[in-house]
Amino acid sequence: MKELEKIEVDTLVVGSGIAGLQAALDLADQGYSVAIVEKAPSIGGKMISLSKVFPTLDCASCITTPRMASVSHHPRIKTLTYSTVDAIKREGRTFTAAVTRKPRYIDEKECISCKRCEEVCPVYLPDEYEQGMGAKKTISIPFTNAIPQLPVMHPEHCIRCGACARACPKDCIEFLQEPAPVEIKAKAVILATGYETTPMTAKKHYGVGELPNVISPMAAERLLAPHGPYGRVLRPSDGKVPGSIAYVQCAGSRDKSIGVPYCSRVCCMYAIKQAVLLSGSLPVADITIYYMDIRAFGKGYEQFYNNARAMGINFVKAKVARVTEDAEHNPIVRIERQEGTSAPEEVKHDLVILSQGLVPGCDVSKFGLGAGLNDFGFVQLSDETVSSAVTAGAGVFAAGVVKGPRDIPDSVVDAGSAAMEAASYIRKL
Amino acid sequence: MANTVKLAEQLKKLNELRGPVPQELRDRLAAQNKAQQAILNALKEGPKTAPELAAAAGLPADKALWYLVGLRKYGKISDVVGRGDYPKYDLKGGEAKK
Repeated sequence: MKELEKIEVDTLVVGSGIAGLQAALDLADQGYSVAIVEKAPSIGGKMISLSKVFPTLDCASCITTPRMASVSHHPRIKTLTYSTVDAIKREGRTFTAAVTRKPRYIDEKECISCKRCEEVCPVYLPDEYEQGMGAKKTISIPFTNAIPQLPVMHPEHCIRCGACARACPKDCIEFLQEPAPVEIKAKAVILATGYETTPMTAKKHYGVGELPNVISPMAAERLLAPHGPYGRVLRPSDGKVPGSIAYVQCAGSRDKSIGVPYCSRVCCMYAIKQAVLLSGSLPVADITIYYMDIRAFGKGYEQFYNNARAMGINFVKAKVARVTEDAEHNPIVRIERQEGTSAPEEVKHDLVILSQGLVPGCDVSKFGLGAGLNDFGFVQLSDETVSSAVTAGAGVFAAGVVKGPRDIPDSVVDAGSAAMEAASYIRKL
Repeated sequence: MANTVKLAEQLKKLNELRGPVPQELRDRLAAQNKAQQAILNALKEGPKTAPELAAAAGLPADKALWYLVGLRKYGKISDVVGRGDYPKYDLKGGEAKK
């Protein structure tokens, strides 16, 4: 282990998605120092991998990248990426966090992001940023607009050929790098650990992730993104341009059988958004959304939904009993309509997207900071009618989906509230 | 450029620490190289779709597509503009016979 690196700041922000970034910026712009810890190799969270946002259809990375850049260049923000928060201890009025910087196997100070190591590396891997649809190398920069632009090596996939080290003009490949411990002392903590989507395997009637053309909404986002894995919308089984696409709503929410009885709020809107974008890139495709009821809950959302209907997106009020496939991997959706005839029906599509729900990204109770959790693992606020950020733990605040499913505008507003509450708490110390 | 002595020492130490490179990884790399070469060879005859390349390389279509997009990302293959259910791919720099 390397020597302990010590950092002292006003606030520790855990997570660098849109909520963490916004909270860090709001605090730093008021003059408070911030350390932001991110487990992934780049800041930006889930939002940086999205194509566009609803209902404005603004490009998601155009909103996220300026915030990422501001955070990484801010004189009062210290960013630790590819790092895990192992424990946070409360000592009197300060918090001490034990953080581990995972080894990237490069000298981060020397690296000039030239990508030569990535070019010469001979081993291809499924790229998790592209939801496995694209490829990356054993040593690679996580994605085009990642911040920082530093490669990460995955030693379990390394054949130790040394090609990267020979190609590196700065001699900064370090095969023997070890995890480095960091100690962060802070006066307040903002939890912004976000969400994961319910796993594809959650619902056994929907193919348990084994049907190649039944994909997750995050994968659909990548198909629609300008630098997506295929550079256009194709289905993963054979590279066909899909002529018929279906969305199965509530595929991971409002379902007691998978332990997610709550509504995940955003699925209706992201499905409608993706349907609108798909109809833009594939003008002749049939796009169907099988739904229970549409929950267009925010400003301009109902109009967005009505516009989608007017554009010819086919909304079918139906329950999907199961999803199977034929010999050509065409997904077959068995439905029961809730309107008109209700006899079961089987419909063939080229591509099916399961509208998965949102579950907590991290069990923050492991930090033992006094912030309680609700029945589903999201952070419980001490009094929701008084503040949208204050938890039962003194000096511990929450921002974004860590408190429960919400959309991007709500997460950004929340983050501002968490920053304000943290600033007010620190001032009173 | 890299210090070759330092590199050799690092790799030697790595082998001592982690043991030899697993056979599974070597096999996977051999299969990858074979599949990619088969795809590139098939493209020398002219632009092809993913299922055509899968047939030529003797691979399942989804695997062929994955290798294809990897080669595309790292600049060996380019998209061919055109219509149809299955888009075609070509060698970068028009090496294929038109």
